[in-house]
Amino acid sequence: MGMDKVGSESTGEVAISLRVDSIRKRFGAIAALDDVSFSLATGQRLALLGPNGAGKTTLIRCLAGRAKPDAGTIELLGQRLPPSGGRERLGLVPQDIAIYPDLTTRENLVAFARFHGLRGSELRCRVDWALAWTGLEDRQNDLVGGFSGGMKRRVNLACGVMHSPHVLLLDEPTVGVDPQSRQRIFEMLDQLRDAGTSILLTTHHLDEAEQRCDRIVIIDHGRVVADGTLDALIGSTIGTSRQVRLRIDRPLQRPVPPWHVGPVVGSLGADSRSGDELLQTRVDDVAGQLPGLLETLSTAGYGVLNVEVHAPSLHDVFLHLTGQELRD
Amino acid sequence: MIATVMMVCLRRLVHNRIELLLAFVVPIAFFSIFAVIFGGGVGAGGTPSIKVVAVDTVRNEPSRRVLAALRQTGGLHFIRDDAELDDTAQLPGATVLRDPASSAVKPLSESEATAMVRRGTAAMAIVIRADGERSVRAELLSDSSDQVAPQVVAALVQRALLTTLSATLPRPAGDVWAGSPTGVARADLNGQGPRLPPARLPQAIESTDDSVLPVTATLPVDIATAASSPVGVAPPLSASPPLATAGASAFDPVAAVVVTDVLGENKSNPVVTMYAAGIAVMFLLFGASGGGGALLEERENQTLDRLLTTGLTMDQLLIGKWGYLTLLGFTQTTLMFVWGQWAFGIDLYGHFDGFVMITTVTAGAAAAFGLLLATLCRTRGQLNGLSVVVVLTMSALGGSMVPRYVMSESLREAGLWTFNAWALDGYDKVFWRDLPVAELWPQMSVLMVSGAIFLVAARVLAIRWETE
Repeated sequence: MGMDKVGSESTGEVAISLRVDSIRKRFGAIAALDDVSFSLATGQRLALLGPNGAGKTTLIRCLAGRAKPDAGTIELLGQRLPPSGGRERLGLVPQDIAIYPDLTTRENLVAFARFHGLRGSELRCRVDWALAWTGLEDRQNDLVGGFSGGMKRRVNLACGVMHSPHVLLLDEPTVGVDPQSRQRIFEMLDQLRDAGTSILLTTHHLDEAEQRCDRIVIIDHGRVVADGTLDALIGSTIGTSRQVRLRIDRPLQRPVPPWHVGPVVGSLGADSRSGDELLQTRVDDVAGQLPGLLETLSTAGYGVLNVEVHAPSLHDVFLHLTGQELRD
Repeated sequence: MIATVMMVCLRRLVHNRIELLLAFVVPIAFFSIFAVIFGGGVGAGGTPSIKVVAVDTVRNEPSRRVLAALRQTGGLHFIRDDAELDDTAQLPGATVLRDPASSAVKPLSESEATAMVRRGTAAMAIVIRADGERSVRAELLSDSSDQVAPQVVAALVQRALLTTLSATLPRPAGDVWAGSPTGVARADLNGQGPRLPPARLPQAIESTDDSVLPVTATLPVDIATAASSPVGVAPPLSASPPLATAGASAFDPVAAVVVTDVLGENKSNPVVTMYAAGIAVMFLLFGASGGGGALLEERENQTLDRLLTTGLTMDQLLIGKWGYLTLLGFTQTTLMFVWGQWAFGIDLYGHFDGFVMITTVTAGAAAAFGLLLATLCRTRGQLNGLSVVVVLTMSALGGSMVPRYVMSESLREAGLWTFNAWALDGYDKVFWRDLPVAELWPQMSVLMVSGAIFLVAARVLAIRWETE
């Protein structure tokens, strides 16, 4: 569909932990990844967003060495990665609960620590740290299969960081958990970031990306369509103006004339036509322009029942870039 | 509502191919397998024959005539005899022992024949001995783990004796026989014991022709009934008809045939050993396929993805699982035999070296087979369906469910494509035939090679899981 990438910004002199350059991956006639490029700075939290089937999981699998790209390169801490292997400093937390439900919390942590090469006192220290980190010290000898979804997610997360990876890949780490567990999981991720771990996560919770991530990459149809901070993306897509919605006491009889706030001329949007009771427009300066709008409506003889002001959000950016069409 | 519940169940069944397979195809498949085993139907390859060897210790005219008559009997397959030596018969399929050094024909000795029965090369040995100057008698060396062959061969030998000698020899005064409830003459090592009731003999003789042989029973059956009916449910003993109705008035063939068990004489409960081995091998296969299913479960819930991003390689993963399944299978089988020793008198302690060897390679091969099945499938549901079909088929053909000696030759040969048969042959050598462990090399070799092939095949199939 050929959409240009928006919001790109320079990483300046920031150290790059993970660099993806022109990755391509096809499954038959379908291009799952089409010239995907981005980078992840050290200690950064990057949200990888996209509709279902956009290529997020394929990208994660390529980064983790579980899928072989047809073209392109991946660099981890400045070292080019082979298609598989060589990812000792990378951690993966799959979308599913990829742990052993018939092992206890401690047994799971010990097993994955050993798979990651930890032995002896280092292993014991790391397991103790993970138990404290997940808040599951008192459940360390219980079988994971009997845990709640949030507790399983925390064990799932801990098993992916037992080897203290420099870069952590998380595929929808909070899917299916309650708000309290989500909060706890992001607190855990905050601690990892504070310790210098770079985090790349996919999610459909746009508020998580908006509030918890430093940078956002939006991918659609296998291509990166946006890359930058939230403000940069908003500025380069829908703009920073606020959306204003007003409900008046009777249908609009005739077009409302423009109003003036200094040199700025305000007007109702083209969507507000005669017969409407719900009017909407966009204003760049809420404090300066909104009083003029209300006064104009009052002068025209309409009573204003309700006023809503919406700041531009990642949700708006996302729909703006990927469209309203259903993706199945 | 009830109709809706039924409709939902039906639609779910229609959408589930594995369920459909298990519900409709597997029962028919197993019915067919057992029909072939017991009914001599499709693929049975005609009448099952009993592998025998003959030793003529007399080498006179009557003995040659008796053996010649036996060679004409389709129910017996002489795998080695002295036909060419005697130059009295040229038999298709009969092999003659030749000395490799001198190229001279060498007669089969009684000790060699006994060894062949002990090793399982022959089901029975027919030893013709002198009985006075003009007559002969027969001693049948048997392996009592085969509970059918002694009865059939005894009847055939009695017929041969009767038809070849009765016209020239006087009948002894009185019928001297000790009635065995089975109707089969059994003797101890001294050659004494109960013999076939004369009352049953005519029917047995008439029925044991070249086309029909009773090989279907797993328990000793009345020879006369077995020879005339598919499955031996013995009728009550009938009153003895005059022996003359069989056309024999001067010779008692019953007294002239004794069956000597050369294998089971000192064993406490040998048959249980074979059942234990059969069950153990079948459950080794089920256990291994279940263990292989854990691999599919790990793949389905992305644990495999996670594991392969650690320092773990697919080689290490498969070998680790194979080692675990082998150890589990070995422990499982050992526990079964320990229980068998305690509860049923299996002599595990006396055969421990052979048991360890054959159990180790069997468990290893079963573990590799389980991994192969798992890597062949895409889901655990597929594996469950496939493993039920494959394991039960292998167990049926390989002798875990019914002894292979009751099967036709073609089915016995088909059974050799299963490693159940090789494993059970190994246990048979260890526990029944008391052979030294060096004799296990064919079974050990086949099981080890097949295990290695299964493991390599599983590894090759697992490549698709490493990277996409």
